[in-house]
Amino acid sequence: MKATEHDADERRLVEAAQRDPHRFAGLYEANFRRVYAYVARRVGSREEAEDLTAEVFHQALAGLGRFEWQGTPFVAWLLGIASHLLAHRWQRATTQPEVLSDDLELAAVNEQAERQALFAQLLDRLPPDQRRVLEGRFFEQRSIRELAQELRRSEGAVKQLQFRALENLRNHVRDRHE
Amino acid sequence: MNNSLIDRLDESIDARLAGRASAAFAEFHELLWVVDELRHLPRPAFHAALRADILRTADRRTSLPLRSEPASPVSVAKPRGTDYESIIPPLFASGSGSLPIRGSHLAVSFALHVVALALVAASGWWMVENRTVVRTRVAQLIPGSSDYPLPIAPGKIGGGGGGGDQDKMAASRGAAPRFAAEQLTPPAVVVRNENPKLVAEPTLIGPPDVILSPSDKYGDPMAAVLAPPSNGTGSRGGIGSGSAGGVGSGTGAGLGAGEGGGLGGGVYTVGGGVSAPRPIFDPDPEYSDEARKAKFQGNVELLAVIGPDGRPRDLRVTRSLGMGLDQKALDAVWKWRFAPAMKDGHAVAVQVSIEVAFRLY
Repeated sequence: MKATEHDADERRLVEAAQRDPHRFAGLYEANFRRVYAYVARRVGSREEAEDLTAEVFHQALAGLGRFEWQGTPFVAWLLGIASHLLAHRWQRATTQPEVLSDDLELAAVNEQAERQALFAQLLDRLPPDQRRVLEGRFFEQRSIRELAQELRRSEGAVKQLQFRALENLRNHVRDRHE
Repeated sequence: MNNSLIDRLDESIDARLAGRASAAFAEFHELLWVVDELRHLPRPAFHAALRADILRTADRRTSLPLRSEPASPVSVAKPRGTDYESIIPPLFASGSGSLPIRGSHLAVSFALHVVALALVAASGWWMVENRTVVRTRVAQLIPGSSDYPLPIAPGKIGGGGGGGDQDKMAASRGAAPRFAAEQLTPPAVVVRNENPKLVAEPTLIGPPDVILSPSDKYGDPMAAVLAPPSNGTGSRGGIGSGSAGGVGSGTGAGLGAGEGGGLGGGVYTVGGGVSAPRPIFDPDPEYSDEARKAKFQGNVELLAVIGPDGRPRDLRVTRSLGMGLDQKALDAVWKWRFAPAMKDGHAVAVQVSIEVAFRLY
C-alpha cells in the first residue's frame, strides 16, 4: 500500500473513532505492538511496560477529540504520549517531551513492531511443550524449577526444552531472512 | 550443546529477566538476541485484556461524542494528556479524563454556584442593612440629686433626721433651722399652735459650727415644691417624710436622710471641694435581645456610690428604660472602676448619677 493510501486510511480511522469511540479499537490493533515495543525498550520490567502501554491508549482515547490530522502518522502522536508518560514516570522536569516525528526513529519502532509480530507467529509454530516453557519463562517469569514441577519433568529437561525452543526461533528467523 | 552450556544460557536468561547484566557468550549470542526479543514481546493475554478495557472505556464515552477541537501545530507529536488531566478532567473540553461530561451536570453545577454566590451576597447586604452595632457609653456623671446642698464637714458626716405632722401634702421647700446641741422645739412650716405658752427657737440637733443658710421661712431644703406650705407626711414633728422632729426623710432631730441627728446621708456629693470620680474602666453594656429586635434606644440613669477604692456600690435605677436595658446597664456598671473622688487629697466615697446611653448605629 502506498504511503498516501495508508495515510488516508488511517485518517478515516481516526475520524471514525472521533465520531464513535468504539472505532478506536481499530487504531488500537494497528498500533498496539509499536507502542508496546517503544515502551518495553525503555522500562525495566514487563509490568511497567504493560502499565504504560495501557495508560497511553487510555489517554489517547480520552484525548482523541483534540487530535487534528496534520499529515503525521497517528502512531507518532501515540508515541508522543508514551514519551511524555515515560518522562513523567522518571520524574524528569521536562516540558519538552521527546519529539518522535523523526522518520528514523519511527522506522525503528516499526521494525521492532514487525519483529514482535514475527516472534508472536513463530511462537505459535513451536511444539506445545517448548512454547509452554518460553511462555512460562518470558511472559510469566517463572523459574525453571516451577516449570519443571508443572510439566512433571526434571529441571535439566526443562532447560533443554528452553534451549531447543530458542534455537528453533533463531532458525525460523534465519530462514525468514535468507 | 552440553549441559554446562545450557546451564550458563539459563543463568544468562535469569539475569536478563531480572534486569541484570549477563556475560556475553559467543556460543549463544544469537540465542540471547532471541531472548531479548521475547522479553519485549507483549503477552497475548495483556493485548486482549487491554483491548477489552479500551472498549469498555469507549462504551462509557459513547454517550458523549468526542468533539474535534483545533489543536496546536505541536499537538501531533506532543501529547496533551498528562497524569493530572486524567485525574481532573477539563471543564469544557471533552478532555482526557475518564468521567463523562454531561451538559445537564454543567447546568446544575452552574445554577448551584449562582445560588450560592447570591446567598453570600444577600447575607452580606442584609448584615450591612441590619447591623446592630451597639454603642453604649456613659453620657455624663452628674452630682447626686438626692443629697442636700450643704457645706461639707471636715470629717465624714453622718446622721440625719426627719419629721412631719402626717400631712397629706409633701413638705414644702424652705430653709432648715440652725444646728444646736439640743432641740427645744422642732421646726414647722405650718404652725399648729399659734399661741404657745413657751416660745422657743426651732433648732436641729447637730454640730453648731455648721452654718446653714439663714432664713425665716422654714421648710425642707430639698423639697420639690414651694407651696402650699406643709410640714410633710412624716410624724412626731419637724418637716419632711421622716420622723423624730428633724428635717428630711431620716429618723432623728437632724437634717437629711440619716438618723440620730446631725447632717447627712453618709457620703459626699460632687462639688464643694469634692472632685468627681473619673471612670477608668467602663466596658460597654450589652444590648438586650429584646431591645435590639425592637431597635429600642434611650438612656438609663443610675444612682451609685463610688467608694474610695474606685468600685461602685449601692447601685439603683433612677430612670428606667425597660426592655431589659436597665439590668444590662446595672450589670455593666458593676464592672466599672473609677479613679475615686478626692477631697483634701484623700479618696472619699461619693454619690453620683450615671447616665448610660444605648444607641443602635
